[in-house]
Amino acid sequence: MFAENWKISLRQIRRLFVLDIFGISSLVLPGIFSAMTGADGIFCLLLGMAGGAALLWLMGANLKHMDADFYSYMKDTVGQIIADVFMVFYFLYFATLSGYVLFELTTLTLSWLLPEGSFLGIGILLLLLAVYGSIRGIEGRARVYEIIFWFLGIPLLLMLIMAIPEINTSYWTPIVASDGVQLLRGSTSVLILLLPLSALLFLKPFSRSPEKLAACGRDSLLAATLLNILIYLMILGAFGQNAMGILKRPILTLMGMINLPGGFFTRQDVLMTAVWFFALFALLNTGIFQGSLVLKELCHETKHHYSLYLVALIAFFVGKGLFEHQFLAEIFGIYQYCIALPGMFLILLILLLVNQIKLGSKMGKEAEADAKE
Amino acid sequence: MPMQIVPDLQENIKNFEELFSDCADIKKRKIKVGKNLKSECYIAYIEVSVSSVDWKDSAVGKFLGKLRTLPEEELAAYVRDNVFDISDSPPFETIEDAAQGMLTGDALVFLEGYNKALKIPDKGYPGRGVYETESEKVIRGSNEGFSESVKINTALIRKRLRSPHVKVRESFAGRRTNTNVDLVYMKDLIHPEILEEIERRLQEFEIDGALDSGIIEQLTEKRKYSPFPQFQTTQRPDRAAMAILEGRIVLLSDNSPVALILPTTYNTFIQTSDDYYSRWEIASFTRILRYVASFLAMVFPGLYLAMTNFHTQILPTDLLLSLAASRQGVPFPAMVEVFIMEIAFELLREAGVRLPGANGNTIGIVGGLIIGQAAVDANIVSPIVVIVVALTALCSFAVPNEEFATSFRILKFMFIFLCGSLGFFGFLIGLLAVLIHLSHLESFGIPYLAPFVGADLNGYQDERDTFLRLPLDFLKKRPIYTRGGARIRLKFNEEEKRNREGK
Repeated sequence: MFAENWKISLRQIRRLFVLDIFGISSLVLPGIFSAMTGADGIFCLLLGMAGGAALLWLMGANLKHMDADFYSYMKDTVGQIIADVFMVFYFLYFATLSGYVLFELTTLTLSWLLPEGSFLGIGILLLLLAVYGSIRGIEGRARVYEIIFWFLGIPLLLMLIMAIPEINTSYWTPIVASDGVQLLRGSTSVLILLLPLSALLFLKPFSRSPEKLAACGRDSLLAATLLNILIYLMILGAFGQNAMGILKRPILTLMGMINLPGGFFTRQDVLMTAVWFFALFALLNTGIFQGSLVLKELCHETKHHYSLYLVALIAFFVGKGLFEHQFLAEIFGIYQYCIALPGMFLILLILLLVNQIKLGSKMGKEAEADAKE
Repeated sequence: MPMQIVPDLQENIKNFEELFSDCADIKKRKIKVGKNLKSECYIAYIEVSVSSVDWKDSAVGKFLGKLRTLPEEELAAYVRDNVFDISDSPPFETIEDAAQGMLTGDALVFLEGYNKALKIPDKGYPGRGVYETESEKVIRGSNEGFSESVKINTALIRKRLRSPHVKVRESFAGRRTNTNVDLVYMKDLIHPEILEEIERRLQEFEIDGALDSGIIEQLTEKRKYSPFPQFQTTQRPDRAAMAILEGRIVLLSDNSPVALILPTTYNTFIQTSDDYYSRWEIASFTRILRYVASFLAMVFPGLYLAMTNFHTQILPTDLLLSLAASRQGVPFPAMVEVFIMEIAFELLREAGVRLPGANGNTIGIVGGLIIGQAAVDANIVSPIVVIVVALTALCSFAVPNEEFATSFRILKFMFIFLCGSLGFFGFLIGLLAVLIHLSHLESFGIPYLAPFVGADLNGYQDERDTFLRLPLDFLKKRPIYTRGGARIRLKFNEEEKRNREGK
């Protein structure tokens, strides 16, 4: 029947990715840009988007040659052992991503919603919920975010419109003042936050229109980038580069500053935290679901949910580590810059090249055979 | 081993009376028949279900009258040749089948020399007629409600859907009750796999008695631990007819005035019959109200606790001071206070339902006004909590379906606990849990949150009948419950279309 066909629509995928990318990037990027580039953060966002588009192009090119799922495609292209190594790479990426998002989500909760809480209590509750969200597959997860997309989007847009009077456009200058290295670092940060888009590679068996997956990813990328540019301009206009760097989460501070007409609710920051809470939870769910999906395929698990529990457990310890030890956050940053980011591009590039060589040699043999005949 | 009916009447009588020994409510008579009254027949019926006083005008009386005009040797042949003129069902070959036939409320006749038994229809079991529904009141539209007789209920649907495509499939549930269960549907509109699925689920259980559709509902539900109902219930024939027109299936159970509709979604629980009878602006406005009410019925007390206990910075200072002043002298923490009031309200509600009509109203007034005021005066609860609880109750009453509203009433306690102990974080966690649960839920293959999710399956047409009920001109297609290729429900002829467009 209709439900439980384990297929999701392009609209669901689009909304899921917009929330995945927007949530974390709008929270984290303003702080990074303030330390690096100031108003030139816009260029970083655009350059990052260009990098994301390149990644999506690579994904699209590989998806075209994919018959069933990504793992089978990798096995057919580069053989079982290398395919397994690549799968371990993806597993590590998604598992650590879950841990990082858990850390961010718990920090957000402790800072804005429940200061007297503890990482242990909040983290466990969030992970239990994420496991519950993922246990019945991708359909339920996609539905949640399909339904709440506008419930989050409309208040956010309204609040952003109401924040316009707070903007001082002189803070938007100077532009083109950063050097190339700073711009590159800023753009790389943006690109790292776009890496969750690589989950698209694993969605082919779940998509109702697999041929449009890459285009769907591009739409999400464009929507999230535009939203990020808008938010960045508003934050920069409201606080300026220096103040933005001091604030922990400038977008939430901005939400707290907005005066609603009528003045009944005096501060909206707590209420608006819901937007980022749901968006970060979407990404946590994505990390856990994709991580367990990769592990399931690697271990040929069919019946049980051990892989899901294992990813949740890893996420918990990674999150706790990041929460308690600053140096682990630095190591995580290095992992993202030096391993995750280049790895994502490299794997797709290798797969594409090997595939092309194989296709070329196959066509050559066929042409040779034709010529002999 | 079933007992076969034989031509020897005495043998049949012996077997039948053995089966129905000590049944004072069953009347059994031997009656002389034939021109010379030399032959015999045996008639059995449940006392009040057959007109035993005025035999002449009843079907049984007329049949016996006819038998008295025929020669004795022709009786069996006459019955055999005219069996379908006399009875509404094929003659029974075993005593057990015959007994079952009599228990449907008709008379049973055994005839000397005839190896079968006949069921002769009469007035049947006593029952309520067609009355106004007690629940699901509407401002506009029919006030007829379902009764306890499945036959009357199917007729009430037929009355509204005069199409040969309306089919009624009969089955029986309950080993000892043999309750009639009818599935009513429009053959060319339903998804056949949904019909197969409900028939399969009906076959999956064997219970001693199915006294109400509620028992069948619980036994055929897939997610038994969900607080949300997976069948829609209605007591209104027009609502059932409308569901059938949407390609859904209506399950009617004998002795129950409540019909089950499947599949169902969150959206269908919020809809009422008069949404389609009223103008679209009014329908849309009330529907939005109901959606908001369903949400607030679940979260309002929780949100109050989160705002007043954890995030006071949201509220203006004046309101905060007034809230604090109203709580002065109340000995309980806010969460306990809300909990006490909610439990008290649920008690009042339960008492009001169980008490007979006028007393039920009284308990509402006594409980709501007198006890409420006394509790505030005695500083047991604060006035603001009384307002919060009363508003929450109003919201739950605004949800048109009782079972569905009850889900929110139960979940309200979860939100009170979560928000009372974790503030807005608890609220978000609770909301996510409910959303995830609802997104996993489905009713006969249809996602519970449709058409807010999976709307692409029907070209986003179903979204036109959700928060807003767009003008009927826009609702040209039937919802997703209808099989593909049969979804057009409204067409305008070309001339009419041109007139509308002003060409």
